[in-house]
Amino acid sequence: MSESTSAAPVKSLNEWHSPSSRTEVIHELIHGVDRYNPTNLSYMEEYLQAQVQSGEYDLLAYLAVLKLYQFNPHMSNPDIITHILLKALSHTVHGPDFTLCLHLLREPAAILSDIDSDDQSLVVVLPFLQKLHQLSRTCQFTQFWSELNGESEGASTLRDVYLPQNPHFTSTTQLNFARSISSSFSRIKTAQLARWLDLSEGEVKQWAEKAGWKVDGEMVAIPGNGDNDVKAGVVNEQVELSQLTKLIAAAAY
Amino acid sequence: MADPAFYEAEEDDLLSSLAAPQYGQPEAASYEDEYKRMQVLEQHAYAQHGEQAQGDGELGVQLEMVPEDVKRFLILFHQAILENDIVTITTMYESGWNKLTQAHYAQSEWPEAEVIAPLVQNDQVFLTLYRELYFRHVYARLQPTIDDRFQSYENICELFNYLLNSEGPVPLDLPIQWLWDMLDEFVYQFQSFAQWRSNPKNKSEEELDLLAEAQQIWSSYSVLNVLYSLVQKSGINEQLKAEREGKSVEEVAELAGEYGSKPLYRNLGYFSLICLLRVHVLLGDPTLALQSMENVELSGGSFLTRITACHVTTYYHVGCAYMALSRWTDAIRIFVSVLIFFLRMKQYHTRSYQYGSIAKQCERMYGLLAICTSLAPGPTDESIMHIVKEHYADQIAEMHRGDALSTYKDLFLSACPKYLSVNPPPYEDSALLEAYAANPPQDATARMVELFLADVVAVKGVQSVRNLLKLYTSIDAGKLSAFIGEEAGEEEVLQQLMALKAASRSYQGKNGGSLLDGERISINNLDFTIDGAMVHVEETITNRRLAGFFIRNTEHAQRVFNTIRAAPLPTTGQPPAERAPRRDQPGQGQGSRAKPNGDGKPAAWQGKNRVRA
Repeated sequence: MSESTSAAPVKSLNEWHSPSSRTEVIHELIHGVDRYNPTNLSYMEEYLQAQVQSGEYDLLAYLAVLKLYQFNPHMSNPDIITHILLKALSHTVHGPDFTLCLHLLREPAAILSDIDSDDQSLVVVLPFLQKLHQLSRTCQFTQFWSELNGESEGASTLRDVYLPQNPHFTSTTQLNFARSISSSFSRIKTAQLARWLDLSEGEVKQWAEKAGWKVDGEMVAIPGNGDNDVKAGVVNEQVELSQLTKLIAAAAY
Repeated sequence: MADPAFYEAEEDDLLSSLAAPQYGQPEAASYEDEYKRMQVLEQHAYAQHGEQAQGDGELGVQLEMVPEDVKRFLILFHQAILENDIVTITTMYESGWNKLTQAHYAQSEWPEAEVIAPLVQNDQVFLTLYRELYFRHVYARLQPTIDDRFQSYENICELFNYLLNSEGPVPLDLPIQWLWDMLDEFVYQFQSFAQWRSNPKNKSEEELDLLAEAQQIWSSYSVLNVLYSLVQKSGINEQLKAEREGKSVEEVAELAGEYGSKPLYRNLGYFSLICLLRVHVLLGDPTLALQSMENVELSGGSFLTRITACHVTTYYHVGCAYMALSRWTDAIRIFVSVLIFFLRMKQYHTRSYQYGSIAKQCERMYGLLAICTSLAPGPTDESIMHIVKEHYADQIAEMHRGDALSTYKDLFLSACPKYLSVNPPPYEDSALLEAYAANPPQDATARMVELFLADVVAVKGVQSVRNLLKLYTSIDAGKLSAFIGEEAGEEEVLQQLMALKAASRSYQGKNGGSLLDGERISINNLDFTIDGAMVHVEETITNRRLAGFFIRNTEHAQRVFNTIRAAPLPTTGQPPAERAPRRDQPGQGQGSRAKPNGDGKPAAWQGKNRVRA
């Protein structure tokens, strides 16, 4: 199972800062001065849209889009912003991604006033997403789902407008919640897992087996992944040769 | 950064270079030769401009008022720059300019470039360089007016334009200290202008009009444009990449092209990368900031460490970027490494004119370290943590109690960079501007603080759960919930445990790769596994780290030994005081530091009290 679909904690950030799905063109755009060229905006936005459909994730490219909005406020697109935030929300639980997006955004009212938009949904959606993010990063998964499925204006806007366009939102969120769970648990009650992943007891068993977890009656056993099978130990100091170069050089004469 | 303290020259500041002290500095003897040579040059130059200087109307009168030593200085300075005489330029730039400032211009501007133009045969390049120094002095010592700000921008653009858009590389060479100061000042003035512009209140009519007209002046776009152009022209990224791959000097020079192979362009390109790091951090884009540094080597001995101000600034901003990514251990590692360096260098620098601002930036890093180590407790360098604890004992105690948002906020505000917003208020539209002034949007720093505090809130319950777990080897989650209180059910407790788990894992970069790289690591000694509802606690013991302590002290001993060996034998009753006074000083300084608790100041290697986080 590859890193990006495994329900074990992610070991390295390589896939995060340069995903293998990123094309050469996008790589050049992100790493060059062309990232400031507003004529590339539509190309970048299409890349995002395609990733929303395919379930792939490339944070640095999304940040480049938000950067262009930052420099050209009149080009801001609230729908794209919402999709980026949804991506960041579903793809990381404890990472900084969602906050990094917020770094580049201003208050929703200010964004909207620059584009003279009549559609005020960002004003409702953005704080709601922030609330979801706060629930997710503090692992209050049950409440996360009940907020998302709740009756608030933010939740219904998301459900009516944005989630139907994002076929992978739920499954990605579940996968990343599962990563958080698998980091702590070696075995977990099926009912608990079902609540945290917002699945029925029947569905959760299927889900667990697909993820390679063993269902054993009322319990699900999660394979060891370095985080959920810790052993007490003693860490000794390791001295690397590079630290000693000066000493060795001085000893040479 | 380049605050007023930056340029405060001290009396008789001979060795103001902030680069690591080199014992092979020009000695008094060669200064004498220099002096003779300069006298010759001076007579020569006077003879040349003798007639020109007179009869230029009002400017001529003003020139008459310029003190003789200043005139002489400018003529020689010009001469040195024409000849690309780096040694002389360095001396005049680092010491001569500051001495004259102290003597004549402590409270007022240097003469305007137009006034002194006849002295330098109207050499436009020199006058542009002169204006760069002129405005830097205004910013450092006086209150810049809007005209100063605009003209300074136009001047620096002229300079960069000359460098970038002449036919081929320009025949100019400047000391790296000046090149760094120039770019550092460029970013500083941008920052200062953006801050001044962000508040439309208390501005005169004239200022408002000027701001409405001149949208591009000091705009983020134009500043980034200059920096990226310097980076591209010098091919610095390609050069650094090739060097990392171990290509030969010739291969690198070939890659660098006709511009990049010149030290002037290469150095400007290199410093531009660091300025980009800074600007991106200020504009709230930490990933882009780290990305622009992807080819720059940070580890010891890299080029950027040759200028202390540059070294400290780079590490400060890299650390801040890591904090924004919640990578506390990386931030700690970065801060600690530069603070150790600074402690060691301090003794050589206390007399230097940039010392004040560097020391201030280091103070900030101690503050940020207090924050990082509270959020990610774990073993770190004991000597540095000792100082952190001395400075911030109360705050650390409050932060460890968990619920201390205001402490985090105050500490962060006092130590974080002054963030900027990209877009200025709408000066071009008076109606919009009025609405803006009546209801100003959240400023950039306030926004960053808010986002940072959200990070803190997310982990604020973690510490108390951790403290509870310390008492057990295994405990049932239901039982734990009774201790946590607040009617927490089993599910809530399990959720808090997961949050604790997440807070004790992080990603850490390693030397050599891109700064964005990271491997998952455990950052706390206390760890656990949950089996159903049973929590099994495992505590890892970290043995005390001693290698760093011994390595540093051995190196220190080596330096002391070298200094003693290099010092003249005390056979003559009187040491030759005027010949090499500087040379003795490091030795004396080290001598006194070799005695423990010598001067009451914390020494770099002071590790008597065992400090554990």
